[in-house]
Amino acid sequence: MEPTKMASPKSAPKDAQVMAQILKDMGITEYEPRVINQMLEFAYRYVTTILEDAKIYSSHAKKSSVDADDVRLAIQCRTDQSFTSPPPRDFLLDIARQKNQTPLPLIKPYSGPRLPPDRYCLTAPNYRLKSLQKKVSSSAGRITVPRLSVGAVSSRPSTPTLGTPSAQTVSVSTKVGTPVSLTGQRFTVQIPSSQAAVKSATPTTPTVQNVLINPSLIGPKNILITTNMVSSQNTSNESNPLKRKHEDDDDYDNL
Amino acid sequence: DRQTLVAVLQFLRRSNLRESEEILRREARLLGDDLGAAALSPTGTGLLGTAGGDADSAGENALLSRVTAAATVVIGGTAAAVASSSPGVAAVAAVPPGKGVVEDQPDVSAVLSAYNQQGDPTLYEEYYSGLKHFIECSLDCHRAELSQLFYPLFVHMYLELVYNQHESEAKSFFERFHGDQECYYQDDLRVLSSLTKKEHMKGNETMLDFRTSKFVLRISRDSYQLLKRHLQEKQNNQIWNIVQEHLYIDIFDGMPRSKQQIDAMVGSLAGEAKREANKAKVFFGLLKEPEFDVPLDDEDEEGENEEGKPKKKKPKKDSVGSKSKKQDPNAPPQNRIPLPELKDSDKLDKVMNMKEAARRVRLGPECLPSICFYTFLNAYQGLTAVDITDDSSMIVGGFADSTVRVWSVTPKKLRSVKTAADLSLIDKESDDVLERIMDEKTASELKILYGHSGPVYGTSFSPDRNYLLSCSEDGTVRLWSLQTFTCLVGYKGHNYPVWDTQFSPYGYYFVSGGHDRVARLWATDHYQPLRIFAGHLADVTCTRFHPNSNYIATGSADRTVRLWDVLNGNCVRIFTGHKGPIHSLAFSPNGRFLATGATDGRVLLWDIGHGLMVGELKGHTDTIYALRFSRDGEILASGSMDNTVRLWDAVKAFEDLETDDFTTATGHINLPENSQDLLLGTYMTKSTPVVHLHFTRRNLLLAAGAYSSQ
Repeated sequence: MEPTKMASPKSAPKDAQVMAQILKDMGITEYEPRVINQMLEFAYRYVTTILEDAKIYSSHAKKSSVDADDVRLAIQCRTDQSFTSPPPRDFLLDIARQKNQTPLPLIKPYSGPRLPPDRYCLTAPNYRLKSLQKKVSSSAGRITVPRLSVGAVSSRPSTPTLGTPSAQTVSVSTKVGTPVSLTGQRFTVQIPSSQAAVKSATPTTPTVQNVLINPSLIGPKNILITTNMVSSQNTSNESNPLKRKHEDDDDYDNL
Repeated sequence: DRQTLVAVLQFLRRSNLRESEEILRREARLLGDDLGAAALSPTGTGLLGTAGGDADSAGENALLSRVTAAATVVIGGTAAAVASSSPGVAAVAAVPPGKGVVEDQPDVSAVLSAYNQQGDPTLYEEYYSGLKHFIECSLDCHRAELSQLFYPLFVHMYLELVYNQHESEAKSFFERFHGDQECYYQDDLRVLSSLTKKEHMKGNETMLDFRTSKFVLRISRDSYQLLKRHLQEKQNNQIWNIVQEHLYIDIFDGMPRSKQQIDAMVGSLAGEAKREANKAKVFFGLLKEPEFDVPLDDEDEEGENEEGKPKKKKPKKDSVGSKSKKQDPNAPPQNRIPLPELKDSDKLDKVMNMKEAARRVRLGPECLPSICFYTFLNAYQGLTAVDITDDSSMIVGGFADSTVRVWSVTPKKLRSVKTAADLSLIDKESDDVLERIMDEKTASELKILYGHSGPVYGTSFSPDRNYLLSCSEDGTVRLWSLQTFTCLVGYKGHNYPVWDTQFSPYGYYFVSGGHDRVARLWATDHYQPLRIFAGHLADVTCTRFHPNSNYIATGSADRTVRLWDVLNGNCVRIFTGHKGPIHSLAFSPNGRFLATGATDGRVLLWDIGHGLMVGELKGHTDTIYALRFSRDGEILASGSMDNTVRLWDAVKAFEDLETDDFTTATGHINLPENSQDLLLGTYMTKSTPVVHLHFTRRNLLLAAGAYSSQ
């Protein structure tokens, strides 16, 4: 938008005229016309906040009416909260003197990308995906992995795979130990992380890559089955990685 | 002193501040033995620390430091410190701060108020006009120098009236005399005119700093004697007191300066620079580059040169083509500050650089560079920062909508590295592994980086093109990887908008400067800054590294440019002379000179070694946002808001400098009026302010700006 001169004074309300005069006094000659509205809004909001605070202070001090001291206190408290100003000069000189006394640290050679400790970086994953495994029906070998209790079906596909909490509730409710024979349909196996809490997250992360493709595969025909990882999880975990490799290949084929 | 102490104790008892009274009694007994100011400052700073989180801390600190500065008020200092802790005691209740109440008491006000009442406020106008009359009647040669007094005196007297709550006197004082001040102080005066009450001064850090720091004036001895004699007459004693308290007069022996000379050097918020501020030794030479043969077949010959030499940066005694075996006396020792070692990719880069340098166009007044302008369209005034890599392959724009966008300038597209799974599948031994790790599916001309939560005010590529820095109004500096195009680190330290950031020419270090009036030096692997450069009175708007990475130049809104030493954080140079906030800095490639541009439309040239102004380039009519020297330092290009790029002859500007002892001792400068001779060309854009300038390795000038339709 082009900055234009202010709106003609005769059509603007008195407050707007005052604000335009203030801007002129402060030496601001070019501004968009909406600036006056924004400034007026700010002024209104600021004054009402201060007066509300002042009312609270005056009632706390059991005074009958709000007086100048209450307003002054309200302003002071709000200034510390919202309109903080940079630290004063002598404070800065002091901390500068302290910081500048330590010698510059030596640089370790051959240390790869020089980044702060991981805690201070933004490089950690901020999500945790459930690994979705595609099972192509037939091979009986796979069925030996004891899992399967059929969980909620239709509503699931619409939620993203980040819906960990709901998965957990589902698995809890259907924690039936009985293995169910597989149907010929394709289904995905969901390993809820609730069982082994966070620790299972790390073993599942290697499978994260294949999961990346899987969300798109959640179609209406897929039945999501939650596994009951009570006792056999440990054994199944070792056997799983091998088995998962095959499943991944199938996934790529079926894409 | 004893009397004032007793008066203070009485007052405290009267106001029922028992504990404060006890503290003061105890301290007074301690200090009675040792009245040195040294004893005072530890107690002062100790109490300062406790009162640090206080609501009134800004005012108290100013109060405290002001009082400690004056020699006579040792006791007043402790009293003021106590007064600062008493508001802490009585904070929540609706009791006015201690100092407000104190001022009503005539017996203690003279000691405890930050501004001593120098006589009757209504007579201030008389004092000022008396001084004005005297100066106007003095001899011509002295008048210019003595006129320097007007502005600081005016401001300090006005602030004193405001601080002591004589609002009407302050207003009439301002009305009467503000028109007499120099035109370049008009912006400051406008800010002052809005400060009419004491409460307005709280939170305005710049004004508080101005009150507490001494304004420096440089006056010749003759003029000074004249002034002193006049002011020490009885009726003018008040002004003499004010001069002594708030001004620092740096006296030199020699001819008084002419108005022109003075005008060139004044303008900053703190006056000029004291002569000893610019006396420290500065290593402005360049670091030795490691020697390479420009090889015909790359890898082998380099291997031969460096076999058996673990430290790559040692100057090789038997290297071919090494010109100067002696150490440049002006260059810093190689290991003065730790610098990262050269990696293989850096060495390849340097070889490329040298090959390109061989094909570089020699610029000069007869051979001007071609200018290629990159216009950002549809930016809607949102383009706030631009940077171009050293080999001119990528350009980055920082925008007001908090995005950072990276474009590839060459036909080669931007690719990110493959994911971990795919990387495990590639053949790591193949020759073109560096191409294989790139994921072709992600190739595109433009990459957008999201992460900041405020407009991005500064961007900087790392020299090895692996990293990108961006600093923003949200107070953070972010490090982005240009291989994965994701954000790696957010450096939090400034809690206020950060106006500029730059990588060191050797990588690893970077500097940032912001609204909190400090510049910070960081290293990419430390989450806290390594150095803090504090000293400016107003925001730090521009930060640049010296080519040898040992010094940092900062330009500020207080109209000074300071040069800081990275090793110990000291300020080694202060350059005053600009009349507006400084927005661009450029070091010459040989490291000896610094060019600065500001909102006043002038480019000033400084000799770093001697600490003097050596040139002034007039021509631009609006803020200069971009300055760059050509690769060999022959041409200085400047780009400005007035939609032009101007080229100046740098060789001529820096030749035959008069650096005789007279000049350096007194700091007199005689700037030749040769801006017109030095101007080699003015190139206008349609209506695009120039935001960035960059000389490619072959001396083609690239410029960047956003099209703005008015």
